[in-house]
Amino acid sequence: MAQICLYFELHQPRRLAAVPLTMLGSKVPSFFSLASGDENQVIFSKVAKKSYYPMLGLLKKLLAFEPNFTFALSLSGVFIEQAQEYEPEIITLLQQLCNSGRVEFLAETYYHSLASLYSHQEFAMQVALHQECIKKLFGIAPRIFRNTELIYSNNIAEQVAAFGFAGMLTEAVPRYLGDRPPTQVYESATKDCLPLLLKQAQLSDDVAFRFSDRNWQWYPLTVERYLEWFESYSSSDCINLFMDFETFGEHQWQETGIFEFFQKFVSSSLANKKHRFVTPSVAIQRTSVGTYDVPEPISWADVDRDLTAWTGNAFQLDTLNILYSLEEKVKKSRDENILANWRLLQTSDHFYYMCTKWSADGDVHAYFSPYDTPFEAYRQYAVVLAHLRESLE
Amino acid sequence: MQTSPTGVFMVGWEYPPHNSGGLGVACQGLTQALSEQNTQIYFTLPYKSNYGASHMRILDCDLSVALDKKQPPFLAYQTGNLRLAPQSSLEAQVAEYSEKVVDQALLHRTSDVIHAHDWMSFPAAHKAAKQMEKPFVAHIHSTEYDRIPMGGGSTFIHQTEYEGLQAATRVIAVSYYTKELLITKYGVPRDKISVVHNGITQQLPLLPATESPFKTKRPVITFMGRLTMQKGTEFFLLLAQSVLRQIPHALFVMAGDGDLYHELLWRVADKQLTASVLFSGFVRDAQRELLLDRSDVFIMPSISEPFGLVALEAAQRNTPVIISKQSGVSETLPSALVADFWDIKLMTKQVVGLLTDQQTQQTQVVKQQTDIAKATWERAADRVKQVYRTAFLGA
Repeated sequence: MAQICLYFELHQPRRLAAVPLTMLGSKVPSFFSLASGDENQVIFSKVAKKSYYPMLGLLKKLLAFEPNFTFALSLSGVFIEQAQEYEPEIITLLQQLCNSGRVEFLAETYYHSLASLYSHQEFAMQVALHQECIKKLFGIAPRIFRNTELIYSNNIAEQVAAFGFAGMLTEAVPRYLGDRPPTQVYESATKDCLPLLLKQAQLSDDVAFRFSDRNWQWYPLTVERYLEWFESYSSSDCINLFMDFETFGEHQWQETGIFEFFQKFVSSSLANKKHRFVTPSVAIQRTSVGTYDVPEPISWADVDRDLTAWTGNAFQLDTLNILYSLEEKVKKSRDENILANWRLLQTSDHFYYMCTKWSADGDVHAYFSPYDTPFEAYRQYAVVLAHLRESLE
Repeated sequence: MQTSPTGVFMVGWEYPPHNSGGLGVACQGLTQALSEQNTQIYFTLPYKSNYGASHMRILDCDLSVALDKKQPPFLAYQTGNLRLAPQSSLEAQVAEYSEKVVDQALLHRTSDVIHAHDWMSFPAAHKAAKQMEKPFVAHIHSTEYDRIPMGGGSTFIHQTEYEGLQAATRVIAVSYYTKELLITKYGVPRDKISVVHNGITQQLPLLPATESPFKTKRPVITFMGRLTMQKGTEFFLLLAQSVLRQIPHALFVMAGDGDLYHELLWRVADKQLTASVLFSGFVRDAQRELLLDRSDVFIMPSISEPFGLVALEAAQRNTPVIISKQSGVSETLPSALVADFWDIKLMTKQVVGLLTDQQTQQTQVVKQQTDIAKATWERAADRVKQVYRTAFLGA
């Protein structure tokens, strides 16, 4: 019998609208929607229909019928804002889940940003903003932190420990973990030790990425086979399955049988007390088996599990540098609108779209990008940055 | 005295709104002016035109394999991207066009002269002229030497250009710059070539500055054209870097598309110029006008430019223009500032001068307008008709 810790990430960026260069110097009503239409609303509502509503409904049902089922969610602030604006019913559903007392909400940066890499002050602000938002909507204060895309380093852990969190989630990267199992609790290599839960990448990605891949040797994946792979773990192991919430219904469409798979996975795991579901708060209570020393930032993205999805090329580096160089000016302006725009431009997805890595990762990037090419993503972002700078003059 | 109209059988390749560059625009301006001067024109196109024209008859000679406007050779002609098209398919398309044009020409035997625009049309025009025993005027808007300035252009295209120029009764060059090139590179006899500068159509009045949404206070320096080596794009970036050392808040805009687009984006990001050099992508109509109207300086640093109509447009929209000495348009726009395309030092001085001295800027704008007033299509049409007359006499 092993422990299973489920965590799903709910996030949707505010994608840039095609704000024209030739409006530079005029007040642009929004960087994220045009008078002719709001593409973000279209996308959000589409994903809501395909994923948020059916999966939240399924989770609610499982909580009702399986008294030992429990899991964690993390909601970016940008997700919450859009849900409130476009699909408020989602917030109600989330509140109902929260009221069950068996769903743990995690902390993250409000803007799903890379601030942890660029500005201590801004990082702290965005974490505080997120705490405030969760408190207001759900009446709780998250105790466990997950950084954007599970980005992690000793340096970041130092800050997160200072914020007072009880633990943090990140990726198990072999170059730092060695051959130690990701199913144990580790400690950060920092002054104040922070307990860490590491993603079980193999078993998480079997569902998140490979589930509907017809070229995969285990396609189609059955719950029986999937649970067979859990059998090598003992009760001292906690299998951390971390993935995007949109895995259910959006990345893996309903037609693939993903919802049925998940429902059966939960029931079968609980049947005969085969396995036990735990939340991150419970999972970190086990004794740490060692230190996870991560001098250079890691993440859960791509095969590299590093930062190259966001900071791997000149497009990304130059735009990020300009964006964060504006921090002082933006904050001095005391203009709420400018501050919000600057922060929305920090959402990591904008930089992900500019990624020019190819092979299998390139496909994943292209799947998520609203642009035809990373070049166009960069071009449009640069234009909007110019607009932001203009508004600061 | 009313004379019977001159019949012109024109062999074209592109025409607005299906055009990606200057050739289509020039054909439009010229045919409109000619039709007002007692000329009856048939105009062939290698695709089905759904738009037509009121001043002439467009004859569709659409090819069996439809020209994809994003694919060579249609776009190739404009982008210098010819190496993307297998030569055999390019040759096949030009040959097919040639056959269809000849069929049409035989149906319109009343024409007095065959007038062909650039190399793609030459084989067709040559064949038609021979069968109809009519003079053949070859009009050069650009050559392979311009499009691929560092050599290595397509042998097939060079050869087609050469044969067309040799076979033509008369040759029209869009500038003296091009005339010299035709003499030195293609061995065309000097007295066979007439220079007819392009004109410019009068535009709608400018939008008052207060009504334009493009009202940034930053000085705007603009490049507009295909993003290819021919257009000197890399020199525009070098110029930007140089000017920024003196005017750090200047904004450089590159408008257009082309085979160097991605490379230029890389270079801008790599040199950390993202805050100073922006790309608008390909711009049309209103966007194009907004951009030209707001620009404080327009730069055309072409390595080899037979004419350069866009510089006239910029001048017409009251933007001071700096053009490379390797551009034909300076003959029509003598008050524009000129510099060798590689002379970043001089261009920097010129840009900074224009940006810092309102008086200099205004004076140049006024002088440019005087030049523009003379650059009419009517005048161009006059000269083309003179060429026709010479061709009849010589034929």
